[in-house]
Amino acid sequence: MAMLEVRGVHTYYGNIHALKGVSLYVAKGEVVALIGGNGAGKTTLLNTISGILKPREGTIWLEGERCDSVPPHDIVRMGIAQCPEGRRVFSRMSVRENLEMGAYIRADREGIERDIEHVYDLFPVLRERRKQVSGTLSGGEQQMLAMGRALMASPRIILLDEPSMGLAPMLVETIFDIVREINQRGTTVLLVEQNARMALTVAHRGYVIETGNIALEGPAAELLENPRVKEIYLGENPAPPA
Amino acid sequence: MTVRSSLRAGLSVGLIAILMVLIGITQLSGQLVRGWFGLPSATPGAWLILLLMAGWAGSRAYKQAKATSWGAALAAGAVPGAAAGLLLGALMWGIGSLLANGTDLRQWLAQLSPANVELLTLGLPPLASALVILAALTAAGAAGAALSFASERGQWGAAWAARRQGLGAKVTSVPAIEKFLARPNARQIVLIAGLALLLLLPLGVGQYWNYIIGTIGIYVILGLGLNIIVGMAGLLNLGYGAFFAIGAYTVAILTAPEPHNIGMSYWLALPIAVVVAAIAGILLGIPVLRMRGDYLAIVTLGFAEIIRILLRSDVMTGFTGGPRGIRSVGGPELLGIDLNNETFFTYFILVGIVLAAFVIYRLQNSRVGRAWMAIREDEDVAEAMGVNILTYKLLALAIGVGFAGFGGAIFASRNRFTGPEDFTLQVSINVLCLVIIGGMGSIPGVLMGALVLKGLPEILRQLDDYRMLAFGALLVVMMIVRPEGLWPSARQKNELRVAEEELTAGPGTEVVEA
Repeated sequence: MAMLEVRGVHTYYGNIHALKGVSLYVAKGEVVALIGGNGAGKTTLLNTISGILKPREGTIWLEGERCDSVPPHDIVRMGIAQCPEGRRVFSRMSVRENLEMGAYIRADREGIERDIEHVYDLFPVLRERRKQVSGTLSGGEQQMLAMGRALMASPRIILLDEPSMGLAPMLVETIFDIVREINQRGTTVLLVEQNARMALTVAHRGYVIETGNIALEGPAAELLENPRVKEIYLGENPAPPA
Repeated sequence: MTVRSSLRAGLSVGLIAILMVLIGITQLSGQLVRGWFGLPSATPGAWLILLLMAGWAGSRAYKQAKATSWGAALAAGAVPGAAAGLLLGALMWGIGSLLANGTDLRQWLAQLSPANVELLTLGLPPLASALVILAALTAAGAAGAALSFASERGQWGAAWAARRQGLGAKVTSVPAIEKFLARPNARQIVLIAGLALLLLLPLGVGQYWNYIIGTIGIYVILGLGLNIIVGMAGLLNLGYGAFFAIGAYTVAILTAPEPHNIGMSYWLALPIAVVVAAIAGILLGIPVLRMRGDYLAIVTLGFAEIIRILLRSDVMTGFTGGPRGIRSVGGPELLGIDLNNETFFTYFILVGIVLAAFVIYRLQNSRVGRAWMAIREDEDVAEAMGVNILTYKLLALAIGVGFAGFGGAIFASRNRFTGPEDFTLQVSINVLCLVIIGGMGSIPGVLMGALVLKGLPEILRQLDDYRMLAFGALLVVMMIVRPEGLWPSARQKNELRVAEEELTAGPGTEVVEA
């Protein structure tokens, strides 16, 4: 059984038909990349999964439980954590308080302490800055904090929305290394990205979304070699005719 | 460029000076200074305020010009001084000539009596007095700049700052105090002494000051309540006065002989008032809390006006007494002893404040407080973290307006009267102001804010007509000098720091870390 399964979801913004029957699944232990251009429906899909938007048609399942009519504040209790686009850390709280906020749904004090230590191990710079007000962190550090905060809910699956956005190339690599590490430690990941090359390098499988439809899907390595993906998302010119 | 800006500063100072002369602030200052120092005439005080203004303009101009030599500093300071002097001098020239021709200026401006004008003209002929004013203000501007220059150059500023820092250390290094502070229970002793002082205070200060302290105290309770809503949960509520009114009217209706003659005991009516206010808050909140920011502010503002107009409308006369209000509101009594006097109410209010502060302190550091803080920062993310936003917003509103109901219950019973005009928009605005002035989200800040907002007007009474003018000016100055509030919470300071960093660094700049 899939960890997360989206079946034929149609989502509207008012009259705008944003998702036109999207189906995808993420198996337990996988990293799945969802790539696509601006306005293709990537974030709409994430918001539909996390309960902020309600699908007009279709269903969403988390390990066999339906979760498409669950309010957003209960989605995280079911085991889906989000790391939103643009980081959105609580800028006036300290790093540690942000992490504690991530564990808001949990009551096991010792478990929370242990997980904070895990996050610090994963992002050593956050340990150094644990008392610092997070609004004063650099962009990359804020991204790490947002990821750490999502992990603090000890989710079954984590939704990462554009983690590389606005970061310097070197940091982007660091962030993707960490995505891989998070996955190796046992968390399933749905990764939404514009940076298709990095995303498909880390992911096991990928989906390409175009104007509200899944246009392509397959193992990440195959998508990387797909001529259409190469041309549109990797920016490579098609091989000149011999 | 800098000459132009310092000229402009000088002209504004000149215009302000003219305004001050025309409406009589200069002679008020003269009289006050004469009173304080026992001077024979009001002239020095009248001049003092003008010279201080010119000096301030000069000092600012010097700082903008970044002058590096004595000559440049003096010149930079003289420019705005001269500009102000030119304006004021021209005015005094005109006024002096008109007076000399026997025109009675008082028919247009009541403050321009010959005696008052003489404070500034010094009895000289019109042109001479204008020149004296020009020379004096120019000199004052230059002196202001020279003082700034000297203090920077001689590092007096740094020495002064160091001395100020050292002062705290010096106080604690007095042997007796040092010995006292070394005791393990020093904190408790200070705390108990402070409490004892607070307990004895109402007995020693008489009716009038008890009334003032009580009023301030009621505003502290209101401020603590609004602080939960605005400062902690970030919901801008401009209709807080409505819940104050609901608390007051609940107690009044339940205890007063008219219009319903229920005659309930005050001690029973008080908690009912709190609960009724809280329920009203929830009923308003359910539809309204889905709105954000400005919309929420406008809806709550409207709600407060609706409540006030309902209270005074004829429709409600049978139920709330209409425009005449409700008289003979019941007061507290204990074992047959009537406690309805200022001194008791002062104690009662003090106890209320301590209780309220304790509740809020506990809330602030709880799970609930964290949830509010997260909502205030980013509703959507808070929701994604599992915070049920509507529930927590309603909780903040209910607890906050419950305090308003409590304050209202005390207010009505202390005045033995309640009427619709006690609950104008001014109440809501005042409470919001005191929260902001004190420092949002800070408990001691509310205390300071209430002292300033409700206490200052009492202290400023000797300025009589100019009381509100001075008060307004002080508020503006306070917000410029301490934008984070008089006693900000540690978090509030952080916020300004974050805002500054964002301004200087910009969110897009990213440093590549190795």
